[in-house]
Amino acid sequence: MIKIEKSKFSVFIQNLVGDFTVFAPVGEGRQSAFDEVADAESVNTALQNTVQSPKSIFFPQTEVLFTYNDGDVQIPEAADKPFFLWGVRACDARSIMLVDKVFGRAKQRPDDPAFEDPYWKAKLDTAVILTLACNEPASTCFCHWTGDGPFEQAGDLWAVDVGSSYLIESLTEKGKAVLERIENASPAGKTEAAEIDSLRTQAESYLGDLVDLSELKDRMKQMWDDPAWDDIAAKCVNCGACAYACPTCHCFDVQDEGKKGKGKRIRLWDACMFPLFTKEASGHNPRGQAADRVRQRFLHKFSYYWDNYGESLCTGCGRCIYVCPVNLDIRTVVKRFLDIDAAV
Amino acid sequence: MVKMLRDTVRKLFDEKKVDMVIGWGEGTLPLSATPVFIENADEADTLIWDERCSNNLAVYLTKDKRHLVKSGKKIGIVVKGCDSRSLVLYAVENQIKRENLVVIGVTCDGVIDIKKVMKRTEGKEVLDLRIGDKDITVGGRGFETVVAKKEIISDFCLHCAHPDAPVHDLFIGQPRPANEKADVYKIVDDFEKLSADERWNSMVESYSKCVRCYACRNVCPSCYCNECFVDQNDPQWIGKSPEITDTLIFHMGRNMHVAGRCVECGACERACPADIDLLLLNKKIAKEISERFNYEAGLDIDEKPALASYCENEKQDFIMG
Repeated sequence: MIKIEKSKFSVFIQNLVGDFTVFAPVGEGRQSAFDEVADAESVNTALQNTVQSPKSIFFPQTEVLFTYNDGDVQIPEAADKPFFLWGVRACDARSIMLVDKVFGRAKQRPDDPAFEDPYWKAKLDTAVILTLACNEPASTCFCHWTGDGPFEQAGDLWAVDVGSSYLIESLTEKGKAVLERIENASPAGKTEAAEIDSLRTQAESYLGDLVDLSELKDRMKQMWDDPAWDDIAAKCVNCGACAYACPTCHCFDVQDEGKKGKGKRIRLWDACMFPLFTKEASGHNPRGQAADRVRQRFLHKFSYYWDNYGESLCTGCGRCIYVCPVNLDIRTVVKRFLDIDAAV
Repeated sequence: MVKMLRDTVRKLFDEKKVDMVIGWGEGTLPLSATPVFIENADEADTLIWDERCSNNLAVYLTKDKRHLVKSGKKIGIVVKGCDSRSLVLYAVENQIKRENLVVIGVTCDGVIDIKKVMKRTEGKEVLDLRIGDKDITVGGRGFETVVAKKEIISDFCLHCAHPDAPVHDLFIGQPRPANEKADVYKIVDDFEKLSADERWNSMVESYSKCVRCYACRNVCPSCYCNECFVDQNDPQWIGKSPEITDTLIFHMGRNMHVAGRCVECGACERACPADIDLLLLNKKIAKEISERFNYEAGLDIDEKPALASYCENEKQDFIMG
């Protein structure tokens, strides 16, 4: 672990910009997002987390899969520089790994056919992710429910903001290679380790009561037909704000845009909240009612993904709670299915 | 006021005048209230009413929630001025039977716009909220700020001429008459003075933040088509990705479709997870409707909608170009 003064932060970013496309938290309020930065001055270091998640870096809202012109098919060239992500929170670093189980290395079960999404992998395999410990989790955070924590180590590099400087540790070979580029860094010792412990204790004290999700998968499935879903769905207006803010929602649509033999095939975000998502060519919609779609969203997070990959598809980042226009709180829904006193 | 509301609702259940009441309850975040659907007198105590109650609850009578109206249940609904105008719109457009609703008006001085609060706290998370008569106190880790209400209520509310439900069956408090607001179309007038390029650039800047989650449409009581044109795929009217031209067609299409029907509640803007300024285009349409047809939506159950009626003395300049 090394220590770099914050006054050297701009040098650190500058050093990377030549060889990497650097992404970091920028903007404020609900427009805060991970975006490409050219210098350290553009980085918003005061955010608890961005409202728009970093998933769009690897899984853009719209991605051209190929272009076609009279039978000539061209696949877009991969980005010329690898990505470097500064300041990803542990929940988001983990969310990228969860989606990677679907797109990147789908062979989780022996009977799974191997499939690797080349667009996702091209970006992620070369990327270097620096996770910044979360000194001040928000009141919407519940990462401890989903097996995570504000100071969990994830990604290629792990950093802690200790006031006047950052402590940075490499977790992978890719991370180590970046750390070796840093000049004017001093090694971190016992004093810094104690500082980290105290910040971790403080951060964890900001989190609410712990809820054990181990029985949730089966509970939700057993309650497939339960009227509780109608209650929960009653206030939902079926927009896609939660799914689009969510770092792990990864459903997509594929569209051809073009005419007369020339155009492009694109992949774009879609959401189970939208009726069109499941509408079939016959006109039939297997999830025709709003409650069907609400149930799908929660079952995908806490049941189906769990069946396939052994954990929940939620990292407790709390973005859906923050953006929901009717305050339909995912924590309340979970508690209801676990019979923990909670009104929806 | 909240006690009066709860007592009133309890009485409605006791006297069997309603089967359900739609109102607002305590949310899970300091700045949020949440819609509640109560079905007995005991639940009346979950109702709240204050500046956090920003949703337009009329939305729960149409779209995917149409079964509530179809069930023939007698429904009580707590409304601000704008929400009551949505109910009038529904009655005018034959979406509800007015006699099946018990409309409970509450005195409204505007609702909180969370993004304005966040500006005042410089992005710091609000963990505690106290609402006073003229101001609110917001607190979080290491700070406490007192803000005048008028500085953090929604821009739509600042322009509101009908804060208290013009149409109601019961009213909590004393309804005030409509007020004349000066300069309600000033932002439109200023915008119209810009050059075409400037207007276009401003639109692009504003709407390029859109992620096409359709929260604005889905919280809008006036947007209740069985199938929205953006959800149709045979034929497909617009591209589904957030390209600026497609995004603008969605927003402008929506604005045109709610022309003369928009009650200017501002639910769209407050729901937007990307903080897009949606006031301007809403006001532009409202101005056109007001100037051409001298009409405001949702005030009179017996008046025909502006775009569904014809008068000989209407402006016809568009015909001659």
